[in-house]
Amino acid sequence: MIRQRLIRGNATNLNDESSGTDMNDERSTAGHDSEKVEPAFTPLGTPPQPPIRSRDGDMIHAGAELAVGEGDVRSAEQAEFVTGTSLTRDAWRRLLRNKLAVFGMITVAIITLASILGPFVIKQLTGITPDYIPKDISALKSLPPFTAPDGSFSWLHPMGTDNQGRDLLARVLQGGQISLMVGIIATLMSLIIGVSYGAVAGYLGGRWDSVMMRLVDVLYSLPYIIIVIVLLSMFKSQTARGQLVLLFIALGSVSWLTMARIVRGQVLSLKNQEFVLAARATGVSTPRIIFRHLVPNTIGPVIVYATLTIPTIMLTEAFLSFLGFGVQPPIASWGSLTTDGIQNIAIFPWQLICPGVTMGLTLFSLNFLGDGLRDALDPQMRKRL
Amino acid sequence: MLRFIIKRLLITIPTLLVVITITWGLIRLAPGNFYTGEKAIPEAIERNIREKYGLDRPWHEQYLRTMGQILRLDFGTSLKYEGKSVNEIISRSLPVSATVGILAYLLALIVGITIGSIAALKQNSKWDYASMTLAMIGISVPNFVLGPLLVLLFSLTLYWLPPSRWDGFPSKSVILPVLTLSAIYMAYIARLTRAGMLEVLRSDYIRTARSKGLSEAQVVIRHALRGGLLPVVSYTGPALAFLLTGTVVVERLFVLPGLGNYFIQAALNRDEPLILGIVAFISMTLLTMNLLVDVAYGYLDPRIRQ
Repeated sequence: MIRQRLIRGNATNLNDESSGTDMNDERSTAGHDSEKVEPAFTPLGTPPQPPIRSRDGDMIHAGAELAVGEGDVRSAEQAEFVTGTSLTRDAWRRLLRNKLAVFGMITVAIITLASILGPFVIKQLTGITPDYIPKDISALKSLPPFTAPDGSFSWLHPMGTDNQGRDLLARVLQGGQISLMVGIIATLMSLIIGVSYGAVAGYLGGRWDSVMMRLVDVLYSLPYIIIVIVLLSMFKSQTARGQLVLLFIALGSVSWLTMARIVRGQVLSLKNQEFVLAARATGVSTPRIIFRHLVPNTIGPVIVYATLTIPTIMLTEAFLSFLGFGVQPPIASWGSLTTDGIQNIAIFPWQLICPGVTMGLTLFSLNFLGDGLRDALDPQMRKRL
Repeated sequence: MLRFIIKRLLITIPTLLVVITITWGLIRLAPGNFYTGEKAIPEAIERNIREKYGLDRPWHEQYLRTMGQILRLDFGTSLKYEGKSVNEIISRSLPVSATVGILAYLLALIVGITIGSIAALKQNSKWDYASMTLAMIGISVPNFVLGPLLVLLFSLTLYWLPPSRWDGFPSKSVILPVLTLSAIYMAYIARLTRAGMLEVLRSDYIRTARSKGLSEAQVVIRHALRGGLLPVVSYTGPALAFLLTGTVVVERLFVLPGLGNYFIQAALNRDEPLILGIVAFISMTLLTMNLLVDVAYGYLDPRIRQ
């Protein structure tokens, strides 16, 4: 049993990845089976090797530990890498089994691609840009989806047009660029701040840890959305671009707290393991231990939480745009398009429904993808939520 | 228990000071002033204004004066709503926000717990998948999209309910705001209840309860719900904060004369006493509620107190 645990923790020289993952699976799901798969280094399906061979296995393992002890940190990093790949493949397989997560992944991919390429493609096909206002006076009104100015069926505006006769599909796709960009950049910001803060607090421990986490506790209980509103309204930028940058800063700087907590928890549980001890013994500097040895090992929960942060931030951006503090014209996001649509809800409902449903669908897919990733990367979490 | 409460209080009070200080700092650091408009003001008038509002004093004196007022719960007079004290505005708008908020939370609790329990009891059934997909839609559709859609359906198509008006609590005008606000909490609470119940239903004491011959209803209501609802209790804190942002949207959408609406107006008008007053009031309420939730949770689950 002890040997098995060592193997799992330090799977050096386990070149046959598939066998490694299968056995990990076996061990975590059905404990009683692990006795049968005793010779740990033989791929499943091959006949059990004589005991002398499994001692061989021990030798391989001892060699790996010696290598670390001798100060060759690179081999320790390789070991991490090998385990990482097989776990990733394992998680990927679990993710693909989850239909809703796959649906989410495909939808997110389609909407992202359409947002990036869509406005360009529309321009190539029809010559319409998102801010093109038609010269023809009869088209200067809001047309329902799939309708030409004379009321007949037409493919020209699949989502209709807005009050000025601008194509709504092109605007929704361009708004998607902004919404996704806000979501991703602010998430990246919260990722950088949260991961570094949490990892440093967790690794240093002791007084530093308690001071740093107490600060997070205090910030956590702030009604931060109110402070964001005050910030955005007081420092309202003259240019749309400036307001967008302000939005990134405001959203990124308030959403790193949970990330810091998650990473700190992970680091606390990792920092007493042998590979950190080995790195410390070989004289690796503290920043290098934190960012090269510990942080890469927290990647699973971090990816999961980042995926779930993107929709939250997009929702907050839309909320701020609804209140008039978010993105400013001429830049449009899904939030501001929806807000424009609300004004005309009684006469031109498609102006609300088209951007609103696109945004809802994206958030829905991102949430399902995040949930699926959580189940795939960390099956233990499934029980908890 | 007393030590636990004191420890929480020691975090709460600095937090309150931090919120007010940040808000005050942001207002003061921002370029411009509340009296600067499109038209330039003669210097003499500007000097008079600065003297009247104490802006000619050193900044720490201004800060201490403001803090002193806030600690005495006297938030001053609004700059834009002439002759109205901030306390008057808060006491008039609070009942509106509180009514909508409390009703929405109650509705969310009742519907959310029911749906979540059914989903957990019939895990992996059609009911489970349907209700959890519905819950995910509830989380993903922003309330400012849901609200207008409800208006479109119930007010502009079916003519059942007024689209936007406030007639006080027992009236038709309450229904749409409450529905719009509660949707997202319903969804969250349903998911939390389901997760909590699933964990509890597998535990040993439920098996004991079943094996000693209790009816399924008794097992669920008297044994499973108690443990299964702990995540819902701990969600009350974040829910209150969310409820706050939710009410802002709903009040803007349905033009309700509530606290959130005044807050946005104050932020747009740069009405410093009103902003500070509402921020201080909301933070106090929120932190007190959080404290109460923590105490309640510590009472329910002694492990937390450490």
